[in-house]
Order: sequence, then C-alpha cells, then structure tokens
Amino acid sequence: MTTTAPAGKRTPPRKPKPAPTARGLSPLRALGMAVVWLFTALNVLVLYWLVAAAFKTPIEIFTKPFALPRTWFERGQPFRNLLYAWDNAGFGRAFLITVVLVAVASVVIVLLAAPAAYALTRLGVRGSGGLTNLFAIGMGIPFQTVVIPLFIGMAEFDLTNDLFGLFLIYVALSLPFTVFLLTGFFRSLPDELEEAAAIDGASPSRTFFTIMLPLARGGLITALILNAIGLWNETLLSIVFLNENANFTLARALFAFNSAASYQSEYGGLVAGVAIVVLPMLVLYLLLARRIITGLTLGAGK
Amino acid sequence: MSTATAPGRPPAPGAHLARKKRLFFPFFLPAVALYVLFLLVPTVATVVLGFTDWSGAGDTPEFTGLANYSELIASDAFRYSFLNTLLYIVVGGVGTFLLAFLFTMVLREMRGGKVVRAILFFPNIVAPIALGMFFGIILVYRPNRQGLANYLLESVGIDAVKFLAPENITWVVTGCLIWASSGFYITILMAAVDRIPPYLYEDSDIAGATPWQKFRHVTLPLTWDVVGVAGVLWTISAVKIFELVFVLAGPGTYSPPIRSWTLGVFVFDRSFGDQGAPAYGTACAAAVVMILLVSVLVVALRRLMRRDVIQY
Repeated sequence: MTTTAPAGKRTPPRKPKPAPTARGLSPLRALGMAVVWLFTALNVLVLYWLVAAAFKTPIEIFTKPFALPRTWFERGQPFRNLLYAWDNAGFGRAFLITVVLVAVASVVIVLLAAPAAYALTRLGVRGSGGLTNLFAIGMGIPFQTVVIPLFIGMAEFDLTNDLFGLFLIYVALSLPFTVFLLTGFFRSLPDELEEAAAIDGASPSRTFFTIMLPLARGGLITALILNAIGLWNETLLSIVFLNENANFTLARALFAFNSAASYQSEYGGLVAGVAIVVLPMLVLYLLLARRIITGLTLGAGK
Repeated sequence: MSTATAPGRPPAPGAHLARKKRLFFPFFLPAVALYVLFLLVPTVATVVLGFTDWSGAGDTPEFTGLANYSELIASDAFRYSFLNTLLYIVVGGVGTFLLAFLFTMVLREMRGGKVVRAILFFPNIVAPIALGMFFGIILVYRPNRQGLANYLLESVGIDAVKFLAPENITWVVTGCLIWASSGFYITILMAAVDRIPPYLYEDSDIAGATPWQKFRHVTLPLTWDVVGVAGVLWTISAVKIFELVFVLAGPGTYSPPIRSWTLGVFVFDRSFGDQGAPAYGTACAAAVVMILLVSVLVVALRRLMRRDVIQY
C-alpha cells in the first residue's frame, strides 16, 4: 500500500476527503503534538531563564526563576552581573582575542579548503574520490587522539601557550570538515560555464578565480560561518594549549571563571558569563538561522 | 602561476586538460600537508606512544608493549569511562533518534513546523562548556534555593532530586545530551522527509493509514539512508564528549569523580589534568581505544543499515 503511485489518468478530482482516521485526534498524533509543543516551550522558557538570570541576584535566580529581574535594577546597577563576569573573568581581552582569532582562522581555513575542494572535484584527476574520502575520515578522528603528540610537537617549536600555535591547530583541524563541505558545493556547479571559459581561452587558474569561486560564493560564506561558530565554541584545545590569562579565548576564560565563581557561589556572575558566550551566537543565529541550519545538516542530506 | 596568455589560437582541448591537471598540486597540497602534519602524523604517533611508558616532557618514552592496555583493563577509572561513553552513544543515540522520529511524524503536517525546528536547533551552536555550566545551575539541589529543574518539580509536588550526585550524573548527562542534540537530528531527518513526494502521504491518507503506519511504511523506508548517515554523525560526536561531563559532574578545575568519566575525560585527566604526574603512555592507549570504538561502531552501523537503494 505504500508506494503505489497515482495509477494512470487523473480523471477523478484529486484531494478527496481524508479518511476519518487520518485527521482529527489519533492518540499517537495527539501525544506527538503535545510532546513537540512541550519541548519547544521548554526551550524558549530556558532561553528566557538564561537571559533573565543574567540580570538577577542568586536569590532571585533560585527562588523566583520566572520573575523579571528586579533587585539589581532597583539598586541602579542593572548590568552588575555582566560587569562582574567581564572584569573577573578577563572577558574584555578574551573577547577581542576570540573575535580576531576566529575571524582570521575562518578566512584562512576557507582560503585553503576552497582550492583543495575544487582540485578534488573539478580537475578530473584520478584518485580524487579516494582523497576526498581521506578528508572525510579526518572528520571522524576525535581531537583527543591527536592532542598529546600535537602538544609535544608544538612545544618543540615554542608554540604552546601561544595564540599563533592555536591558530595553526584550529586551521589544520578544521580542514577536513570544510573541504568535505565545499566538495559538495563545487560538485553541484554546472560544467557548462567552466567549458565556456576554457573555450574563451581563460587559463584553468583564471577560470577558478573569476568563474568558479564567485559561483560557489554561497558555499564559501556558509563554510566561513560554520567555522566561525565552531571555533567560537571550541574549548578542549584552548584548555590544553593556553595556560596564561593574557592569552585566553572566551571559552577558555569561561572555563577558568567557572571554577572560581562557583567556589564563591557567584551564580549571577556565572549565568552572565554563560550569556556573554552564548548571546553573540544567538544574534548570529537570529540573522542567519537558515544558512546555519542547512550548512550544518548538508553533509547528511547528501 | 602560469597564466601566460595563449599565443594566437586557443590551445587544443587535450592541452587544456593537461594544464588543468597541473593545477591540482598547487591547489591541493597546502590543505593536505596541514592535514597530514596535524592529524594523520599525530594519530600514528598516538598509536605508537600507546605502547610506551612515558610521563611527558623530560622523560624518554620506554617501549612496554601491551602493558598500558592491560593496565587500562584493570583500571576502574577506565572501565567507568568506557562504559559511560558506550552508554552515551547507545542510550543517548536511541533516545535522540526516537525523539527525532516522533517529531518527524508530527512536524510534517504541522503549522509553524519551521519555527519549531529553528528553536530546537539552537542548542547545537552553543559551546558545550556553556551548556554544561548552564545545566549545572539549572540542576542545583539546595533545599529552599532549588535550581530551575527542582523548582519545577517541587511546584508540582514532586520531591526534589539530587541531579548532580555521582550516582545520578550519567543519566542526567544522557538527558542533557538528548535535549541539546535532538534539534540537529530532527533537522536532518526533516530535510529528508521534505523530499518525499507528498502524494505518497496523500495516498496513505486515502487508504486510512494511521500516523504510525505512515511512518513505518513511507517515512522510514524513504529516509533510511539519511538515518544511517545521521547515526554515523551521532557516533562520531558522542565518542568525544568531554566538556559537558567535565563541568557538570565536577568542580570544573580538576576531574570529576571517576564514576562519571568518559574516555575523553580519561585522556585529559591522564595527560593535561591538574592532578598528579601525567601518564602520556596510558592516555595515548585510551585515545587509541576511542578511535577503535568509533571505527568499529561506524563500520557496524554501515553494515547494519545497508540495503538496496529505493528510487522515488
């Protein structure tokens, strides 16, 4: 009964009334609807809680989780928690470092990955398929398996506790995903334009830079955004490779701040710290949700 | 690079192809060099170091054969780490996919489905460490000053639960994991569901199919391949769980109680954790176990999910 396509002619008007069981309240469907809405509401609630709690005192956070913040507003210092986190965790410097590091690294990643993805998909070189798979396998290697030799190796060159060292690692370890993502984009481009450029006498490299790169712009921007998000949130490598406050990235600073502030039960500050890391992502997400979602799920949907 | 202007007539097509191929190495080499240097070589090094006894800088690695591995098997910390990791992959995976399937059944014909998807997806772009801290505050157990979760429980008359106690933490992390990652898998599966021609659903409506039957006989067979890929993605990401457990189960500066460990925590504790002398050899052996676990599970999953392609 499943795959019987509409047989033959369409003489009878389509869209007959649905069978009684299909619409209405089948128990499974009702349950499903309830779960979906409950789950969604919980997500929104939790997000509200996070933003509200960043402006509350610990007592307010724990005794009136849903109320709007009051105490700090009444005392005339509504941003007290955010300022506390900003000052005590060194977020000011960390914010700047993270923005620069993430921006530069994401651009460099795409600059390296785009030609590689192009070479793997468009140059007709034998063995490209195998090499693409090699990159895909790289996505499955957990960072924990490479971090110890990397640390030893980087220490040899004095690149531990060094932002340039972390930059190198970020670039290298982001390549498998980015190359894989971009091969998908380049593969989907039409052949005709490339052929036309060749007939007009454009050299292969010129074809790449002036024809194919602009065509793949959507893919490049997606790759840029996804890498920026991933690196903004990256914690493990920054914990291993940075150990001086002056070098901390935002996630690394949050990690250090977590233990200090929970020791002092400074929950307002803790929530504010989380908010400082999460809210920029929320803003980005509100602006670019569709691109982020399709980009991140592209690999799976073929 | 050789962008020399072609003299006179355009080059023959064969020549063009050859010139194209000449582009391969300059384009491909930088990326692959970094990949080999920073991923493949260290992976091989980890495998080699796994057979040595080494306490880090200043010490020379000493070949000890399989000693690290027999030490791992005898170690409680490792046993907890391995079993917890497996639990997160299997139970967390089953939970996430069940939830995702339930959502695909409902979301397909629901108004506002796109908005729901976007809301549920958001936790996926939040740093795991921020998620961990956030859950840590929500799940606080302190009579009279309960975190949000216990506040809700108490307000409906249920006793508060010590969510973060060592004996509960594994299940709590599983729950958090399902909550945070289901949005990603819902989105992947829904993208596949949206590609199914609507007339198949219309036909089953006419035939009076229940939502379960539609799911079982239309949705599942036609999204099977995507489910397989999503399963692989889940396995890859669940094997390396680290930050979430580290900040949720412990004080945050040093490792949490061993009952809550994952393989990721184990490797970190034996190498860069703040307590005691590092044991790089043991850590490397555990890292090798991680990579073996991913490989075995991914291959098994692919075998299990293999079937003939369905055209539609």
